[in-house]
Amino acid sequence: MPGPTLARYFPGVEPTDALLAGRLAAGDDHALAEAFDHLAPTVYGAALRVLGEGSAAQDVVQDVFVELWSHPDRYDPRAGTLGTYLNVLARHRAVDLVRSELRRLARQARHHRLTPAGHDPSPSDAVAAAATADAMRAAVRLLPDDQRQVVELAYFQGLSYREVAVATGIPEGTAKSRLRLALAKLETVLDRQLLESI
Amino acid sequence: MTADRQDHAVPTGLRDRIMAASRDARPAGVAVPEIAPDSPTEAFARAADAFYQMLTSLGDEDWRRPVLRDLDVQGLVGHLIGVERDVQRCLSGDHEVGSANHVDSTQPAARSQAGRAPGLTVADWREAVDRTLALAGRSDLDGMVAIHGVALRVRDLLIARTFELWTHENDIRAVAGLRASVPEPSTLRPMTELATALLPFGAACTDLREPISVHLVLTGPGGGTWDVAVGEPSQDPSQLGIVADVVGFCRLFANRISPHDLDVLVTGDPRQATSVLAAAAALALD
Repeated sequence: MPGPTLARYFPGVEPTDALLAGRLAAGDDHALAEAFDHLAPTVYGAALRVLGEGSAAQDVVQDVFVELWSHPDRYDPRAGTLGTYLNVLARHRAVDLVRSELRRLARQARHHRLTPAGHDPSPSDAVAAAATADAMRAAVRLLPDDQRQVVELAYFQGLSYREVAVATGIPEGTAKSRLRLALAKLETVLDRQLLESI
Repeated sequence: MTADRQDHAVPTGLRDRIMAASRDARPAGVAVPEIAPDSPTEAFARAADAFYQMLTSLGDEDWRRPVLRDLDVQGLVGHLIGVERDVQRCLSGDHEVGSANHVDSTQPAARSQAGRAPGLTVADWREAVDRTLALAGRSDLDGMVAIHGVALRVRDLLIARTFELWTHENDIRAVAGLRASVPEPSTLRPMTELATALLPFGAACTDLREPISVHLVLTGPGGGTWDVAVGEPSQDPSQLGIVADVVGFCRLFANRISPHDLDVLVTGDPRQATSVLAAAAALALD
């Protein structure tokens, strides 16, 4: 089909997005395809930035577009562009995915602590451990740069407060306060029990 | 649409996967929020009630205003009384009304209202409508009838009459300086169903023979999406997408605006789009 020829726009603040939303509500699957073609790359990027992993990010993109198609009335063109709406939706879905995965891993870690020691980790345990680290890193990526830096040094490289302070060129007290702030933020994302188990 | 974040190449196959998952969640062509459409009798009764309310809001001077053809408002209401009488004839099995002319057949009723008190005209019209509704309630909605040169099912006749009352209500509103009215979404839905179903006949009437597959999207409550084939049958028709506001499209179907007055988004050949929109307006009866 040739490209669209716009005879006239509908009136409105965001005419193109408002019209697209109206078409989606009317059941126009061509409009969904157009929305995907224009916006999926940025939505996928938003999901990747949180999840850092392809297949989970693809699931998020699917969730976002199925949500848009199923409930197009939830998008209000007066509140912003469709691209912004979908990116925010993708980010929320991705963070939700990290949260639920970490809760699952926390339950798994708690189970391991209660299990008698002395046995080699099974392949599935090893995979779960790797996934825990990946998920933790994904959550840490949500932190501001200065807080993320101290968390990575302290928790992933095992540095002490003093060593973190030296490595980052900040006073030790500042390193401690940044870590406290970072952990407080992570606790809103992660299951507190998981933090204790790491 | 604005791409205001960093883009990443989308993996191959994701588009197809998402389109399929979306259609599983909600079939294409189904508008949301879903609306329970009025039955044909309900739609006609609603349109009649809206028309009646409008009539009762008119001042004495409004009844003398010229509105359509050579008719003033009172004459137009008289024309509608004549239409009701013809509808009652066809619902009662009178076949002669099938070949009657929509205007000529109703002119005597239109002229007979001249000089009467508006209240009497309103009462006559209301009585005529109520008689039509009573007859329609006893009729087989899927039975075929013929009136004013058109053969159609009773259910479609009632929706066509819904269109007619809404259209003339707004003719009168326009000359009386009243704001235009819009039917409820539940009434608009059967109106748009009828309008889109008749599109191929409108194309035939306007000699539109090019085979065209029309993807018609009518936005707004009461709208929806339809794929309609117009023109001569073909295995390889031109693909044409038309997006328009549902109320605007109904005004076009009622021949109250021209294709050039309708805000549309066209995908495909704009010339074909103009022809299809002209076909939509071709079946209107005044």
